[in-house]
Amino acid sequence: MRPDRGLALLELYDDALPHVYGYLRARCGSQPLAEDLTAETFLAAVAAVRRTPPPQLSTAWLVGTARHKLVDHWRRAAREERGLRLTHERGADYDDPWEAELDLLRAHEVLRALTAHHRAALTLRYLDDLPVPDVAAVLGRSLHATEALLVRARAAFRRAYEGAEDPQ
Amino acid sequence: MSDPFDALRAPVVPEDPDAAFAAALRARLERAVLDPRGTTVSSTPTDTAAFAWPPTVTPYIGVPDGLRAIEWYVEVFAAERRGEPYVMPDGTVGHAEIGIGDAVLMLAGGAPGTSGDGPPGDIPRFSIHVQVPDVDATVERAVAAGAELVRAPGDQPYGRTGVIRDPFGHQWIMLTPPGRATRTRHGDIGYVTIGVPDTQRAKDFYAAVLGWRFSAGSVEDGWQAEGPTPPVGMWGGADAPEVQLCYRVADITAAVARVRAQGGEAAEPERKPYGQLAECTDDQGIRFQLWEPADG
Repeated sequence: MRPDRGLALLELYDDALPHVYGYLRARCGSQPLAEDLTAETFLAAVAAVRRTPPPQLSTAWLVGTARHKLVDHWRRAAREERGLRLTHERGADYDDPWEAELDLLRAHEVLRALTAHHRAALTLRYLDDLPVPDVAAVLGRSLHATEALLVRARAAFRRAYEGAEDPQ
Repeated sequence: MSDPFDALRAPVVPEDPDAAFAAALRARLERAVLDPRGTTVSSTPTDTAAFAWPPTVTPYIGVPDGLRAIEWYVEVFAAERRGEPYVMPDGTVGHAEIGIGDAVLMLAGGAPGTSGDGPPGDIPRFSIHVQVPDVDATVERAVAAGAELVRAPGDQPYGRTGVIRDPFGHQWIMLTPPGRATRTRHGDIGYVTIGVPDTQRAKDFYAAVLGWRFSAGSVEDGWQAEGPTPPVGMWGGADAPEVQLCYRVADITAAVARVRAQGGEAAEPERKPYGQLAECTDDQGIRFQLWEPADG
């Protein structure tokens, strides 16, 4: 064991905490959940810095760890949603491009209401601005499956957004 | 060129969490960093990814692109990946399992990018995986009754297995699972122990009420009920009647540490023929056991 690495993590804690928490808070929409995932992130970091070779400890690395914790959370949520998904999941019945200017407040509401799979894909791709191959790596899917998931997620988002915009 | 989704881009904006939360988390981290045992302070068990042994009969399919098929089934059926697929050096998937509800789907397939109607090489498109008590005896019976022997029984790390094609054209992969095989999952009750002052009275009572029959167990005045699930054992000489539950865990060392961390008591795990067992008492005095099946 190398306690010095753990101590380096503690030194970084005050600076990194607002970044990790801010990242999670803006994406998961609930303070208790953001706190749980923040705690999971830092506790996982304690374990990670003990590994050989240790990761390059930095705020950016901690935010990356937080991203994985968020994806794990959505994966669990997706399992719980499975009963609902059959009624919610539809094909991609829109053709790109979509000409619209998103109202961010409403967009985030729509995002929160999507299934966990769709929310995860859109968050990683657009909020985090990750290239598709990186989204695939974080989700543990192939590039092909990730592209397909993004198409469905965009369609679901658009459907929900336009429904939210124009309730009839 | 512009994509409306681009507007969603959200660079990380630092935000201070609740001060009490920040202080509590710092204290937890300090304990975790100073804890010589490593990371057992983690609030959620991380050792729960142990899978139940599959049901007796399981479909086994062959597909062109193994990894792609796994993703497809996981996504479409909201299925559970049962461990990592067994990927061969050439990229083909030798064996993979996914859990759908309380059942399992097994599959093998070609390397990524393989297309076509069916699986490549000699991977069958469809076979049935069945667990039998004695694979040699079942294979012998099958061949004597007109089946074709595809692969003679042989020992593998996961049990003894052989393959036949029946007279109706279906291929069966037969397996005698190793003794450690259990359908219980982490947290499931694996065994129930009833302690009573008078076993004869208790045996008569449960025989009359439930129809249980008892065989002699391995310890003095110990009895095994035949039939119920999970299995039930009974022993005599208890000061007061007591029912104890035995829970399966994936990692008994970690689970014992959690019992202690939560204010319970746990003896060191003992090796038994069926795995490791630890006698425990929870923080309110309920006695129970933790059990990790023999490893494989």
